[in-house]
Amino acid sequence: MTGSRYLGIVLLAAAGALDPGSTALGQATKVPGLVQEGNYDSGNLGMQMQPAPQTDDAGAVYAVGPWPTYTPPLADGEGRELVQSFCGICHSTTYITMQPPLPAATWEGVVNKMIGAFGAPIPEPSAQAISAYLKNHYTPETRKE
Amino acid sequence: MAQESPHIDATRLSRRSLLAWLASGAAGLAFSGPARAQVPPQAATPLPSFTGPGANPYWNGVNPFVSYPQKLPLLQITDRGIQLETPRPYFLTPFTPNAAFYVRYHLDLIPNALDLSTWRLSLEGNVERPLHLAFDELVKNFKGVSIAAVNQCSGNSRSRFQPRVAGAQWGNGAMGNALWTGVPLKELLAAARIKPGTMQLQFQGLDRGPGPEGKGADVVMKSLDVTDPALDEAVVAYLMNGEPLPMLNGFPVRLIVPGKFGVYWTKHLTWIRALTREDANYWMATAYRIPDTPRGNTTPAEAAAGALKTVPIGHVRMPVRSFIVVPDGSSKLPRGLPVRIQGVAFSGEGAVRKVEFSEDDGRSWVGATLGADHGPYSFRTWEHTWRPSRAGKHVIAVRATDGKGHVQPDAPVWNPGGYLWNRVERQALIVGAA
Repeated sequence: MTGSRYLGIVLLAAAGALDPGSTALGQATKVPGLVQEGNYDSGNLGMQMQPAPQTDDAGAVYAVGPWPTYTPPLADGEGRELVQSFCGICHSTTYITMQPPLPAATWEGVVNKMIGAFGAPIPEPSAQAISAYLKNHYTPETRKE
Repeated sequence: MAQESPHIDATRLSRRSLLAWLASGAAGLAFSGPARAQVPPQAATPLPSFTGPGANPYWNGVNPFVSYPQKLPLLQITDRGIQLETPRPYFLTPFTPNAAFYVRYHLDLIPNALDLSTWRLSLEGNVERPLHLAFDELVKNFKGVSIAAVNQCSGNSRSRFQPRVAGAQWGNGAMGNALWTGVPLKELLAAARIKPGTMQLQFQGLDRGPGPEGKGADVVMKSLDVTDPALDEAVVAYLMNGEPLPMLNGFPVRLIVPGKFGVYWTKHLTWIRALTREDANYWMATAYRIPDTPRGNTTPAEAAAGALKTVPIGHVRMPVRSFIVVPDGSSKLPRGLPVRIQGVAFSGEGAVRKVEFSEDDGRSWVGATLGADHGPYSFRTWEHTWRPSRAGKHVIAVRATDGKGHVQPDAPVWNPGGYLWNRVERQALIVGAA
């Protein structure tokens, strides 16, 4: 998963599609000391091995492994893929399942905030479909799990 | 409604957005198999997977344990960006272990690797002598100080709110106490020579998001008035409980602002800017604002009316709180045995002066015994030995009084951000026959 993500970046960069300064990767060159950021991979729940001690590397780079993701399933229904694609630009859908059941108007406010305040590039018809999905599955009346 | 394909939508995105989306890893994650939490072996019955629309009745949030680099298993709030809650048992000691210390990010581009040979801490803006300090200059050229201080998220205990509000659904575990060691901020400001006309100091760390410049999902910046007395006690910390900071707690340095909420404790601190005007970025002008009322209290109707005057949460200090850590209600207590009640208390407004215990749901109070004093901004442990007189259900409670004489109130608070919860804490206990 991590591999496929960086492969995508490498291919785009190789094709000259990556405009430094206009993307997350491009910005990385402007940040002092930053070697890697935003590396995520799916995590394992259940029985886990203990971590090994730091390897023999006396250099100045301080690194940890990918940030594991443990994203619970979203309710099945129309609009779910839109939610995963657009909301997933900036955050995992755990931000949705973590909430208590919220009134329909609150969900609409959240979608508007993501577009207006946070800059989510969601076209209007998709924004409406995303709001409808959230109302259909995550209000006090509709939430199942 | 016709089903819209995400692929068609993706082609409508600007190239920048598409690249950001790929960079975020969402392309892979969106279609991977979701994680489903397992039934815990610790108890016959797991907590529900969510609470609401009523208040969360549990001490922590209801979320499952998850593992992260440099961390013990902690309670999930979110996984990209990362928010992790500290489980209740870690509050038995005055200092919270680094590996158990809670984590709260706003955006998802969190550093996985940093090169200390090229990293610099910059002091810039309205200063006579801009500084770009290497890590070893910070450590060697300035005299280090240590201070014990509680870092608490503004939204700690948000899941108690009625009606519920959107946001990270923390139980009580979005807090921790550590001994922070580093350079006093005022020493750095003196070295950079802040110029007259400076109104605020702005702090920014390395973490950021894939959003467009100028929007909330780009970078998080927080500012304090240059005249704020909290800055005199602020520290740029490179040690946490005597060890380097875990990456998720802000390696290599983090701003410590004793008494203030955690949102001002910038992780991966890299830029300090002297501003000649009030910071108008999203994270100051819109987010993290509280009603300008006693306790930041208001009502949903007042908030909806939109006429409420608000101020940044940095205008207040953390109100006094106290917690029951054990017993936690997970096991029945046999009648006849003394019960050792233990917990912590703290205040952002001066040392905890008194902690009181109630065995009757807050109707009567007796003084509890305070543990060692580690300074005015530290957790103060407390304990009390209780001898339940009868079998059945009991509700015990705790409240603290701080150095300014504030007694922890037994009324809830409500505001749209879910901030400033500090109501008296209770614990239901079952005493069994013997």
